[in-house]
Amino acid sequence: MNSMNDIINDLKNKFNPINFDIVSEKQFAIDVENEELQSILAYLKAQGWKQLTLLTCIDWIKENKFQLVYIIYNWDNPITINVRTKIDRDNPKFRTITSIYPGAEYYERDVHEFFGVEFEGNEKSKKPLFLELWDDIPPLRKDFDPLAYSKKKFDVRDYKVDFIPKEGEAE
Amino acid sequence: MALNENEKINEIDVNELDCRDTKTFWEKFGNIFRSKSLWMLHYCTGCGAIELPPTMTSRFDMERFGMGPMATPRQADVLLITGYLSVKTLRRVIYTYEQMQTPKYVVGFGSCTLNGGIYYDSYAVISRLDYYLPVDLYIAGCMPRPEAVMNGFRTLLDMINKGDAQGWKRYLKYNDWYKRNQIRALGEVYVKDEFHE
Ligand code: SF4
Repeated sequence: MNSMNDIINDLKNKFNPINFDIVSEKQFAIDVENEELQSILAYLKAQGWKQLTLLTCIDWIKENKFQLVYIIYNWDNPITINVRTKIDRDNPKFRTITSIYPGAEYYERDVHEFFGVEFEGNEKSKKPLFLELWDDIPPLRKDFDPLAYSKKKFDVRDYKVDFIPKEGEAE
Repeated sequence: MALNENEKINEIDVNELDCRDTKTFWEKFGNIFRSKSLWMLHYCTGCGAIELPPTMTSRFDMERFGMGPMATPRQADVLLITGYLSVKTLRRVIYTYEQMQTPKYVVGFGSCTLNGGIYYDSYAVISRLDYYLPVDLYIAGCMPRPEAVMNGFRTLLDMINKGDAQGWKRYLKYNDWYKRNQIRALGEVYVKDEFHE
């Protein structure tokens, strides 16, 4: 089971993936249902995808969904797999994967802080990680306005708008 | 080229300046020596710091001004802040600044310290440094070239020599104002460190 097509066919037989995207020669993405995500990650880990490279979140505000993206990597067979699933944006909750990839603890804290997704089963996921004393909605949500926040919180420099040189001044 | 009317040096002005000079002899003396040996603590937060290695090493050789890099705040005179400051780093910078001994000088480096630079609309980056710490001198540019940095340091040395670099006195005098701005942006200045709690 070396080529990407073999892996894709294998996953198609064992699970019910929604969709596959070929990203590049050594990378593909697979969309799965929420219920299947844990088992597919556990299966792939057993197959050699031992490294969780990244867990991140994408805000599809028009669809009213958050998409969780788990990027995993295999050191023996250098193929990157992006396992993706969509969750409800209004009540963003998902199960933790720390039992499969313990390192996900910090990624889950990160996603909680920047998108507000709650990870059930990871009791540390609500601890602040990067933002200290944050006081607004999570900043990487699409409906957060960074400019308005910056104007409200941080003083800006006032500039004179009138730059027209007076007579005799530098020309 | 002839001097024009208001540039003419006349004796009355010189005397008047002398009369208004309230610095004591020892203060002037001290200022001269301060300007001849400075230890610089560089808090390199942003991309602009890449211009510092050539400034410090043989190409431009900062040390010929009598300036050297220093690793600890308590032994440093100049705090050089290069680049953008997120609220998280600002907290640490304030700690660092308050640990330094007076007289101490702050130099803001690059447009990010001046007005937020390209991060002016970021939720995490402050827009101007002199609201939170007393900046004696800004070096403009994104990023400033080593020549500009050297020119900035020369200006700073002249300012110290003349006794114009008074930022640390301002920080003591208007401490309430600085603290109020700091609290407004940061919530609280106290640094939480979960790894040592
Ligand atoms: S001023 Fe420019 S070079 Fe300096 S930290 Fe900001 S973006 Fe980078």
